[in-house]
Amino acid sequence: MTGTLVVLARDVKKWIGRRGVFIVSIITPLIWIAFFGKSMNIRGLIASGVPQNLPPSLAKQIEEFYNEALKRAFGTSDYFTFFTAGMLAVFSVFQSMFSGVSVIFDKRLGYMDRLLVTPTPRPAIFLGKVGATLFRVSILEALLLAAGVALGMKLKPGLSLVDLVAAWLVVMLLALGLSSFYTTLSFYAENQEVVFAVGNLVNLPLMFTSSAIFPVNKMPHWLQVIAKVNPVTYASDLVRYHLIGYTLDNYLLELGVLLAVSLALFTAGLWLSVRWMTSR
Amino acid sequence: MECAVEARNLVKIYPGGVRAVDGVSFCIRPGEIFSLLGPNGAGKTTTVRMLSTLARPTSGDALIMGHSVVREPDRVRELIGVVPQDLTSDDEMTGWDNVYYQARLHGLSGREAEEATRRALEFMDLLGVARRKVSTYSGGMRRRLEIAMSLVHEPQILYLDEPTLGLDVQSRRHLWGLIRALKKRGKTILLTTHYMEEAEELSDRVAIIDRGRIIAEGTPEELKARLGGERIHLLVGDPQGAEELASQLSSKGWRARAVDGEVIVTVENAARALPMLAHFLERAREVKIVKPNLEEVFLELTGRRLREEEPIDSFRYRIMTRRLRR
Repeated sequence: MTGTLVVLARDVKKWIGRRGVFIVSIITPLIWIAFFGKSMNIRGLIASGVPQNLPPSLAKQIEEFYNEALKRAFGTSDYFTFFTAGMLAVFSVFQSMFSGVSVIFDKRLGYMDRLLVTPTPRPAIFLGKVGATLFRVSILEALLLAAGVALGMKLKPGLSLVDLVAAWLVVMLLALGLSSFYTTLSFYAENQEVVFAVGNLVNLPLMFTSSAIFPVNKMPHWLQVIAKVNPVTYASDLVRYHLIGYTLDNYLLELGVLLAVSLALFTAGLWLSVRWMTSR
Repeated sequence: MECAVEARNLVKIYPGGVRAVDGVSFCIRPGEIFSLLGPNGAGKTTTVRMLSTLARPTSGDALIMGHSVVREPDRVRELIGVVPQDLTSDDEMTGWDNVYYQARLHGLSGREAEEATRRALEFMDLLGVARRKVSTYSGGMRRRLEIAMSLVHEPQILYLDEPTLGLDVQSRRHLWGLIRALKKRGKTILLTTHYMEEAEELSDRVAIIDRGRIIAEGTPEELKARLGGERIHLLVGDPQGAEELASQLSSKGWRARAVDGEVIVTVENAARALPMLAHFLERAREVKIVKPNLEEVFLELTGRRLREEEPIDSFRYRIMTRRLRR
């Protein structure tokens, strides 16, 4: 336990100590929300095709029609709200990649050997690295959410503390799975290029084949199959359920799948990482 | 317990079949400085990695104060301090933090760790710069910080893997002084080096290692005595010419051998022998008189020099030299 915390504390201290990196990583979520979310003005896209000088009653009817259509597709009449909730999930995917890079540098600069010649239990080294990522993700996700709300994200009426904690846990669960994956990859990889290459290969498809930016039931059938095994889909859905009042067909099933995928990645990652540390 | 560190027929074969260490055995007695001297790639670092529990021996074992590196790695890790060849301290943290986290990783509580950090930094003459970021340190300070990081949990046994690699003469001497002070404090020290002066200067006993095997072992004096005298090097240039000259000298009763375009003549007293060799000297482009030293011992045993070769991970090497240059 102490070992885990010391490994974690050192990584966090390094993160905060690097002023530049710290500030950039804090600004990043704000930029994501502001630029991506606001650029995809789906309402404006549909509205632009409608003639301007309609009788007020008809205009109101059309307005209602959009709202209904958007609501059916996105579960809310406001795409930005839908998008921001999805980004909370996607952001933890991208941040998780960086936990890998820290392991690579520790290995290449010889610091990993320093860690390994101490009696620190081997699993604690893995847990500390993953834990540091979860800590970073926690802070950045809170900022992301705050920025989203400031820019017009509409949280569900009657949002409770339980919902906030639940949404946080969902995001943590996703980050746990993915940072386990990237940390393990980094123990075995020779250099940081491998991690970035795998990141490019995995992260964007994870985002686009999930419900993070587009609802799954409006995707072509074959894509839906992929989306249904993608943990980002479930994380996005669950975050939306808790934060913006999205309705889910089966909450427990979605939670179950996310839990299963993340714990599987975590368990396999822990086992493989410890194996790397002990079998050289 | 006779040996603080005992290597028992250690073998390490890396995937791909490279025999990095090929049956190494030795015994380091408590309180002595024992050196592994050999060229880069001889198996020194791999041996230290096995003794540090970082690499698992393919076969054989090593006992650290009687504890097996294979069966009781955690116990061993408490007993040893390892100063790696790489500079592992973090540039962006202070010297203090680097040592402090290491203390915590060894299981010291917050207050104990602070006290231990202070002691280790003080001993390494770094207390004055402890609160500065490591990126502002000189090469010598960085090397000392590495030792402080390895000493913080007060291990009885210290491994120093090429501790003065890349340092200037002054920093090297400073570090040698500190290593001697550690010995005075009763530490048992395993030193690996490819600098023969370093091995001679510091060691109680030296094992010469080449191609994964120990080819000679003894005190520096014993090893040098094996040469049987002083040496005269006649640099001929072309290997064939050197061979010819060596066999001519041998036929006249001289102890001569050709190595690498050079003829090496072993004599009791070089200053007195030189005039008698006058007839042969015109064949040489250069003449050098060498007192017995470990470099000569290595040359005698292997027919090769202890020269530097390209390190394996050039990225690490580049980063290290860049950090040392400050």
